[in-house]
Amino acid sequence: MKGFNISKYSKPFILVAFVLILTALRPTTFPTVGNIANVLWSVSVIGIMVCGTIFVFLVGGIDLSIATLCGFSAVVVVEVIHFFGDTTLGVLAGVIAAICVGAMAGCVHGFIITTFNIPAFLVTFASQSVFLGLSMVITNNKIVSCTAPAAFTAIGAMKVFGFPLPIYFMLVIAIASWYVLRKTEFGRYIYAVGGNATASEISGINVKKSTILCYVFSGITTAIGGIVLASMTQQAAAATGSGYTNDVITAGVIGGVSLLGGVGTVPGAIFGAVLMGLLNNGLNLMSVPSTHAGLVKGLVIIIAVGFDAMQHRDQSRKRAGFRLFKKKAA
Amino acid sequence: MNGINQNTLRRLISIGMLAVLLVLFTILIGAGSGKFLSQENLIAIVRDASVPGIIGVGITYVIITSGIDLSTGSAIALVGMVMANIYAYTLLPIPIMILMGILTGLACGLVNGYIVARMEIPEFIGTLATMSVFRALTYVIAIRDVNGVIKSQPMNVSQYTFLGNTIDGTPSGLPYVCIALALFVIVGQIVLRHTRFGTYIYAVGANKKAATLSGINVERVRMMVYVITGFCVSIGAVFTTARLQSATTALGTDFEFSPIAAAVVGGVALSGGSGDVVGTLIGALFMAALENGVRKLDMNTAFQYIIKGVIIVLVVMFDATYKARMDRIAKEKGAKEGLE
Amino acid sequence: MAELNQTNLETILEAKGIYKSFSGVPVLQDVHFEVAKGEVHALMGENGAGKSTLIKIITGVYSKDQGQIYWEGKPVEINNYQDCQKLGVACIYQELSVIPPLTVAQNVFLGREPRNGKLIDFRKMNRMTQELIDKYEFPLKPTTIVDNLGIGQRQLIEILKGLSQDSKLLIMDEPTASLSGKEAEMLFKIIQTLRNQGVSIIYISHRLEEVYMLSDRLTILRDGKNAALLQKHEIIPAKVIETMIGKVVDESSGSRKMLQSREGEVRLDVKGLTDKSDRYRNISFQVHRGEILGLGGLIGAGRTEVVRAIYGVDKAQSGEVWLDGVKLNPSPRNSINAGIGFVPEDRRNQGFIPLLSTTRNVALTNYDIVKKNGSAVSDKDELEMSKRAIQAIDIRPSDPNKEVGVMSGGNQQKVVLGKWLMRDLKLLIVDEPTAGIDVGAKDEIYSILEDLASKGVAIIVVTSDLQELLRVSHRILVMRKGNIVKEFKNVEVTQSKVLAAGQGVEEVEEAG
Repeated sequence: MKGFNISKYSKPFILVAFVLILTALRPTTFPTVGNIANVLWSVSVIGIMVCGTIFVFLVGGIDLSIATLCGFSAVVVVEVIHFFGDTTLGVLAGVIAAICVGAMAGCVHGFIITTFNIPAFLVTFASQSVFLGLSMVITNNKIVSCTAPAAFTAIGAMKVFGFPLPIYFMLVIAIASWYVLRKTEFGRYIYAVGGNATASEISGINVKKSTILCYVFSGITTAIGGIVLASMTQQAAAATGSGYTNDVITAGVIGGVSLLGGVGTVPGAIFGAVLMGLLNNGLNLMSVPSTHAGLVKGLVIIIAVGFDAMQHRDQSRKRAGFRLFKKKAA
Repeated sequence: MNGINQNTLRRLISIGMLAVLLVLFTILIGAGSGKFLSQENLIAIVRDASVPGIIGVGITYVIITSGIDLSTGSAIALVGMVMANIYAYTLLPIPIMILMGILTGLACGLVNGYIVARMEIPEFIGTLATMSVFRALTYVIAIRDVNGVIKSQPMNVSQYTFLGNTIDGTPSGLPYVCIALALFVIVGQIVLRHTRFGTYIYAVGANKKAATLSGINVERVRMMVYVITGFCVSIGAVFTTARLQSATTALGTDFEFSPIAAAVVGGVALSGGSGDVVGTLIGALFMAALENGVRKLDMNTAFQYIIKGVIIVLVVMFDATYKARMDRIAKEKGAKEGLE
Repeated sequence: MAELNQTNLETILEAKGIYKSFSGVPVLQDVHFEVAKGEVHALMGENGAGKSTLIKIITGVYSKDQGQIYWEGKPVEINNYQDCQKLGVACIYQELSVIPPLTVAQNVFLGREPRNGKLIDFRKMNRMTQELIDKYEFPLKPTTIVDNLGIGQRQLIEILKGLSQDSKLLIMDEPTASLSGKEAEMLFKIIQTLRNQGVSIIYISHRLEEVYMLSDRLTILRDGKNAALLQKHEIIPAKVIETMIGKVVDESSGSRKMLQSREGEVRLDVKGLTDKSDRYRNISFQVHRGEILGLGGLIGAGRTEVVRAIYGVDKAQSGEVWLDGVKLNPSPRNSINAGIGFVPEDRRNQGFIPLLSTTRNVALTNYDIVKKNGSAVSDKDELEMSKRAIQAIDIRPSDPNKEVGVMSGGNQQKVVLGKWLMRDLKLLIVDEPTAGIDVGAKDEIYSILEDLASKGVAIIVVTSDLQELLRVSHRILVMRKGNIVKEFKNVEVTQSKVLAAGQGVEEVEEAG
């Protein structure tokens, strides 16, 4: 009922309409192989990240540190590769290190938020500054390029069956996260916790542990997003990933994920990511500078969340009325 | 019978934090000309604290109503750029330009207020969205050269830039911005503590239901605090651009963080209903001193981001624990005392 | 306290011939209620007798269907709370509406602060508050920040707020519900002072001893009608209880019962359970196989807290819980694993997940018994379980995918109960199982409980509904102020006896 709910069946039509509109507007540049690859790359990074952050949204949390954590993990992977002398072993170590950093960050977020009962936005707002500082300290405020080994550049650039590798990462992560949320016991607990934490606690769910795990997942996918981004651009800096906080949250929101918790699906979030990818690409093709895109994206957030808030308000009013009636009759 | 008041204790803690920081840096860096503890450096710290402090007045109001405003940094840039446009393309006098800047700030605040109070979008997400909207608008109206490349617009007419200077014109003098800070803090504190509106701000933050029952228009109060923040932002933007003698699109990128950090360190609880403007001033001085010391220690300036983030989280964790404890004590004491 | 002579006193508020019904169900019928100047007039009645509705009509929250309200002899229309405030009526809310970060004086004068130009005149405001405090002898200081005060003192601020608006009538709805003994004493003293100063008070309470001590007159409502208007000397506990429950009802089958205990093997053994915050002390009892134990007493007697501690939602400070001879380490998960089910009191906030379907809600506690394919929950088996639950307790709509949040109260409760039926239960705890549920669904829930008991499940039923308590229980324990004060076992029990025990009234004449 809640969430920015585009009917299930209209979603493909919206995508097709979007593609057609872009094709019509930019017939020479949009439907080209090169550009489609661009769209897919853009989609994949947002998609990878939103598949983890959806867990946080579902328990009613938020992560404002996506952008700088993404940058930090990009810096970590690149620095570790350099430390290992640009070897393939270094790539492995770097990837593991970056993922560990992401998981750790999520763990700390979750722990502080649940133990001290502090709003998630504040904790992640403060930690974004920490991650930014860490990246700047490590890179000494410089862009660190990393063009070797091939194992690293392949992460972002290699094509399999004509599609860029990150798309496959996104699909794997999306399927994994869909599986966890849709199929497992844990996934069902996540929706329960987001829907009513007190009732979940009474039903024997360890609310604290589940919430922390959600932040850990979010940290891990953010780190993977950072790794892919670093590989795609063959460099890392503190600014890597800037802007992705908004993109990921917007993707979630237009994909029907409620920021109030308890509502949202992985396919919805992927739909949101694709739409965001197309939006980014479309704005780009229309020669709208990336600096202006924030205008459109900001408005999209306000409209989508405003819609959600409106529905929620109506529902709670209805509910209050309902309860009032019950009380009277008693 | 009450022992020490919670608010007084919290004030002492923030003053203590500031004092410890000052002593620490004095030991590490030393006193005397060019060192940490010197008249010109202390003035520099207050000067750095001024713009976050001015915006902090509005932010304090917002946080006391249990809201948040993440968009202040972008709003500064937008206000600056509006003024730069007027400066570059019109012959309007400087006071009119400043007035237009203030109107822009008020408009930004009104937008935030509408989104948060009327549309009931969660504060952090609504202002996160306007943060990117204001920044994008800044780019849209940015001043460009003949090739269409964004350039920074100089605004170096002396009847404007004097605002960024000191009163006597010497580097060691008292900057105008510090006077503005003093004015904002004094007026801000009086409004908060000595007017009905200020009382309503606390009432709305502490207990919205009770506020409504007492006949307070909660929606209007919530809207007003964002508009006031918009006003503070516009004044902050005037002093910032006057000092830089130009407006850039990157203006205020740090200011999303500083006023909130200042308020949090100064004891304005995010749960709403507590803290005041003086606390935020202490917090702003703390943050400015921290930045200054980190710079003087020749540390990578990036450390300040790490330290700031960690300090915010620690302070909030402390406040949450402390609040829970004090509430429990008050409850138990009430239960025991009864008539006494 | 000298008894007031009613004839000399002018009536301040009078409600005549009040009728009110909700969607055709009459809640108040020809109710008459009056308060004299300077009297404490108590209002009592069982849950659902219409007390709250009457008060809400007086304060303008509800509109009446018929009848007229008179204020100081003149007919008045009260359409909202502001109207009644203007007349001089102040309601002390159960849900406190003080603003903790402000001072006592600021709270009292919130929205009406005396000003000097634009600035608040603190000196004047504090002086005015001090005058009020002195006049009514409140143990408060105008400049204290409310944050530092206990609940009792916060309540006094509310009263002060009413008095500062020249209120002539204060309405107190269960004011002692969340107060400690000492805080309550303080309040009683204040009430007497107020009364002596000519302030009228409507005092609504379930606690007979308070009413007995404080009130000048007592109006008792029963089933939405006036049951009695008692003068002070007529307020005799046994009589009050008899009037509240009604003689006629007491002789009918539903309110008199021969309890027959089931002396099977002990399933649950609670030993010396004691609360951290002293809401219950040294609670020990046993429940046997197949036995339904009713836990009665007034709201706030500590019943809910005890069962929450047994199930492990809250931790007790000391004491032990044994189930089938095994000591438990209470936590919801451990309790579920050990075979305990729990239906909490506040259904909407604690019982279910409104946005999720019947299937997901039923399965929520049962994923340990739902089939799995590897790590994946079998959707099919989950759905099967939900269909079984729907069939077992007749949940309507029977669509297993329906969101529980949009269902009726009765069906929501069936979903909450239904999930436990899918398990192999040893003990089921239900707290106010039929609150806000229609009659039909009530009966269904009772038969489910009886059916479970016949299968050997031990059941604890916490309820404030006396009829329900008698209807379902094999044995009854009554709690009062955190202690178990009475056990009814193998005796004939009436509603009056249970109520008297919960009130702490020693003897009750047999009704009829």
